[in-house]
Amino acid sequence: MTPLLRVEGISKTFVGNRVLDDVTFEVDGGEIHAVVGENGAGKSTLIKIIGSIYQADTGSLMLDGRAASFASPAEAMRSGIAIVHQELSLVPNLTVAQNIFIGNEPRGPLGIIDWRGLNRRASELLRRMGALVDPTVLVGELSVGTQQIIEIAKALALDAKVIILDEPTSSLSETEVDLLYGLLDDLRRKGLGIVFISHKLGEVFRLADRVSVLRDGRLVGTKRVSETTTAEVIHMMVGRHIADLYPGKSTRIGEVLLEVKDFSCPPYRRPVSFELRRGEILGFAGLVGAGRTELARALFGAAPHDGGTVMLEGRVLDVRSPRSAIEQGIAYLTEDRKTLGLFLDEPIHRNVVSASLKRFTSPNGVLRTGAIRAEAKSWVANLDIRPPNVDAEVINLSGGNQQKTLLAKWLCARPRILIVDEPTRGVDVGAKAHIHQELRDLTDQGIGIIVISSDLPEVLGLSDRVIVFHEGELAATLAGAEATQEKVMSYAAR
Amino acid sequence: MTIKPNAAEASTGQPRRFRPLRSVDARQIAGLAMAIIALAVVMQVNYPVFLTPFNIEIMSVNFVAEAIIALGMTIVIITGGIDLSVAAVMPFAAILFGLALNAGIPLAIAIVLVLAAAATVGFLNASMTNAFRVHPFIATLAMLLTLRGVNLVLTGGSTVSGFRRTTAFLGQGYVLGVPVSIAVFLVLAVLFAYLLANQSFFRRAYFVGGNKHSARLSGINVERYLVFVYMTSAVLAGIAGILVASQYGAASNGYGQNLELRVITSVVIGGASLFGGTGSILGSVLGVVFLGMIYNAFDMLGVSTYWKDVVIGCLLLVAVFISEYLKRRQARA
Repeated sequence: MTPLLRVEGISKTFVGNRVLDDVTFEVDGGEIHAVVGENGAGKSTLIKIIGSIYQADTGSLMLDGRAASFASPAEAMRSGIAIVHQELSLVPNLTVAQNIFIGNEPRGPLGIIDWRGLNRRASELLRRMGALVDPTVLVGELSVGTQQIIEIAKALALDAKVIILDEPTSSLSETEVDLLYGLLDDLRRKGLGIVFISHKLGEVFRLADRVSVLRDGRLVGTKRVSETTTAEVIHMMVGRHIADLYPGKSTRIGEVLLEVKDFSCPPYRRPVSFELRRGEILGFAGLVGAGRTELARALFGAAPHDGGTVMLEGRVLDVRSPRSAIEQGIAYLTEDRKTLGLFLDEPIHRNVVSASLKRFTSPNGVLRTGAIRAEAKSWVANLDIRPPNVDAEVINLSGGNQQKTLLAKWLCARPRILIVDEPTRGVDVGAKAHIHQELRDLTDQGIGIIVISSDLPEVLGLSDRVIVFHEGELAATLAGAEATQEKVMSYAAR
Repeated sequence: MTIKPNAAEASTGQPRRFRPLRSVDARQIAGLAMAIIALAVVMQVNYPVFLTPFNIEIMSVNFVAEAIIALGMTIVIITGGIDLSVAAVMPFAAILFGLALNAGIPLAIAIVLVLAAAATVGFLNASMTNAFRVHPFIATLAMLLTLRGVNLVLTGGSTVSGFRRTTAFLGQGYVLGVPVSIAVFLVLAVLFAYLLANQSFFRRAYFVGGNKHSARLSGINVERYLVFVYMTSAVLAGIAGILVASQYGAASNGYGQNLELRVITSVVIGGASLFGGTGSILGSVLGVVFLGMIYNAFDMLGVSTYWKDVVIGCLLLVAVFISEYLKRRQARA
């Protein structure tokens, strides 16, 4: 059988940096083919070349057994290759139908758009996909999961034969993920070829037929999912065995460090009380939208709270703004490092000190550049941030190294309590293990840590104790062996 | 498999009838229309001359340049840009027009030449933005300042006149009982309103302003589109310049002081967002009408001109506040 899409011998070099090296890859009709690899392995470059957003230096592309080459993304799209990008590319203040047929509207003479036809075709298409979405609703009003569905509808409207999804589930809630899986399954049955980039091996094994592993721009191998194991794929990804993704549990849990009592903030229906002990990692589990981030932001003073007390080492805190939270020893690592966490266009050293500028300012108000660079250098070495160059702009770092820079920024502020929200989202396996170990080391030094993560194995693997949130309520506190995946889900998804 | 939408996405399964005005915009436009009617009623009760054909004509003729320029500015703002240079393009066109006519160039050819010159200015605006990746605010500000200088050079600081007879029809004529300049505006407004609502090429403005990245990936050549948009804006400013010169039978570099700000104010009062992606011709036209009526009302009340700007500034804030409020309420609903 000829593969639906085949790229052969693809190489690509960016400013002397070989990003892809002789990669051959194919996807059959009726197949879901997962592509995995650490950040910087070349996955995104590969799909951008397939979608003609970049042009390869060498190599060829065959679609349906015929050699093809496209001059622009639009041309690739018209030939049946559609990409659903990680950052959704919908226009929020236009309707669903207008987005689905963007630049491709049914039109009459002089390009006058046939609005009735547009809405009718959009609603037919959505119905065929099993999605009951009103085509005249504005896209900005839809949930991220439904927007993802609209992106796929956009691809189908162009009669795509191959749909490429770049980490489609990274910002979806559990139910939305299920919907997406169902839809992809449907499309596979209809004979489309689906390429699926993911960091989550769980979903790769659940969904894909084959998995291809990239490392350092080379294709390490392609396996049938039924004939391989998670351990083997991880080994292929990192080129070494990662003994354990998670460090051990705490051995010395001490006195109460942080005590939150009758704390109320939107969207909580009832006040929340919990405590965090010295040496402990406390996990916040729950579905997206359960209110975990809102609670963290309220504790950090980035969102308002209506009442309750917060005590740190026996002292009552008065947190009114992030600034006062930082001064009183609380740090919060946002889940959205690119827009809320880092100054992307600034070098590493300015990012590292950005939450502790006071300490690096001389009495007459001048920044002490030397001290700043020295501080940044020590964090870069400590956390193994690459490249080990404090002048590198953060925008050029991989996801894992950006996350480490964010961690350095907050550790530099010398917090007593560190709240980390989705600490490894979009971070590759190697950096993940490193960040996890770092968090454990910090608790050993006496810092209290709260971990919020939608990656359930991560919460369970890291935490000594887990609090489960459910729709704006603290649903359960589970400790030790009690905290199992099933138990957490039974509280989280009631 | 069935994908169940959440409450906000609830659907009857049947597509709703097409609504050319989406809810927030429609409400804002309706509100603006009501404000206009209220203002008219209040003025009419206290000053019965307010709604006489004579006063309406004065208002219209005074604001026709703003109104025509607002059409182009609306498209520019929808794409997420801004065009400050219109305030210099308008007198530039007026001056060129006057000089051309005084040089004995026939009217029709003079018009074509002037509009071609205006289009060139728009082309340069867009090219500066595209080539150097500067924000259109800077590119068109540079153009505004430069062109003001050019206007001074062309006129030597004095007024160009002496072509009144050639432009008698354009300046003082009537079509079906409507002054020519107003007729030109009405035709252009209807045309642009229809195209921007229904024509696929014009609709791209919303894609470009709503999400440039997405527009590019959907096969829209954003840079080339912006060239079209800024040329349109400049040509409309050129038309306004020709009409103003014809009206006064003279052209001066003093025309159009702060015009760009009045036009932008009208477009924003009409519901467009400077972040791009929203706006409509109807809204902008109502915005100009509203602003025009306020100025006229001030003249009638004999209020010091100094207060005009205070009130206009406050009105702009109120309009933006209402528009944001509507949007947030909708987002929460």
